[in-house]
Amino acid sequence: MVKFLDLHVIPKIGDESSCARMADLLALSGYHAVGLTVPTGLLRDKLEDLRKCFQDSGIQVFLRADLTCSRREELLKLLRRFRPAFDIIGVKCTNHSLALVAARDRRVDLIYFDPARRNVWLDDSIANVSNAAFELNLNMLFERADHLIITRFMKDIIIALRHDMQIVLSSGGTSTFTIRAPVQLMAIAEVLGLNKQEAFESVSTIPSRIVGSNIKRRSQTYVEEGVSEA
Amino acid sequence: MSRRYLQIKICSEITVTEEQFSRTLTASILKYFGEVGLSRVAPKLIRFEPYKSTAIVAFAKDYVVEVQAALALIRQIGESETLMLPLKTSGTIKGLSKS
Repeated sequence: MVKFLDLHVIPKIGDESSCARMADLLALSGYHAVGLTVPTGLLRDKLEDLRKCFQDSGIQVFLRADLTCSRREELLKLLRRFRPAFDIIGVKCTNHSLALVAARDRRVDLIYFDPARRNVWLDDSIANVSNAAFELNLNMLFERADHLIITRFMKDIIIALRHDMQIVLSSGGTSTFTIRAPVQLMAIAEVLGLNKQEAFESVSTIPSRIVGSNIKRRSQTYVEEGVSEA
Repeated sequence: MSRRYLQIKICSEITVTEEQFSRTLTASILKYFGEVGLSRVAPKLIRFEPYKSTAIVAFAKDYVVEVQAALALIRQIGESETLMLPLKTSGTIKGLSKS
């Protein structure tokens, strides 16, 4: 059975009814799992409440941290600190040199750009060295779907495909009204330039693989890639 | 012309009327795919059930992707935030009611 994942959902922490509504709609949309972006300093009790809220609707929860900074040293420090604690690590690239560091670093799962920023975007030099997947947060389109942003997304997709970079489609939803069904994400991606199969993999197999390998990496028996304790 | 039918769940802060829904869907297809796109998609509201917050829309069968994308890009009806979730696509209206 196909499992759809949205790796970028930002719940309103502390608003239980909003989280419950969000979880119900995600389940209705056909998702099996979500990556919840939570503040890095959130208390364990609140995390468990949040997890329970989504699990009650049949949605599996993975915790995600979005790292945003402007300097290489800062990013490396944040990665050292937060990589062991989270299932998914996303880096919002605010400048070109940071994007290069994030793309190369194997601890980073996803890199994404803000299409509204004109000074930084996915280019060949980043895509060429990238170990991380490229995330398309379609919430920018929902908020402001003008031709500049649509063109930016189309160019990003062309570059990512040229370098065989993995593409992940996420809604980036912050409320019940900003989440989108997997078929809707796939439809937008197809309009933007992915083919049917690539669009399908971007909301199912690629995010599953990312989450699966991280869970394996965080298990007690894991030693290093290809090596685990018997 | 062969057609497909899409069942849609409407979630909004307000009670959406049939006319508002129809106008918003048409406007969204027109905005992103133009006049030619709209005439090719040829959307038609078949059924609107405000008490269930669902609607059934018919459109040309080769344009499922365009309709899904246009629905996804609807953010508001009037001033109210709105979400339109596609529930099921079928070649017949009867097929939509089958589980």
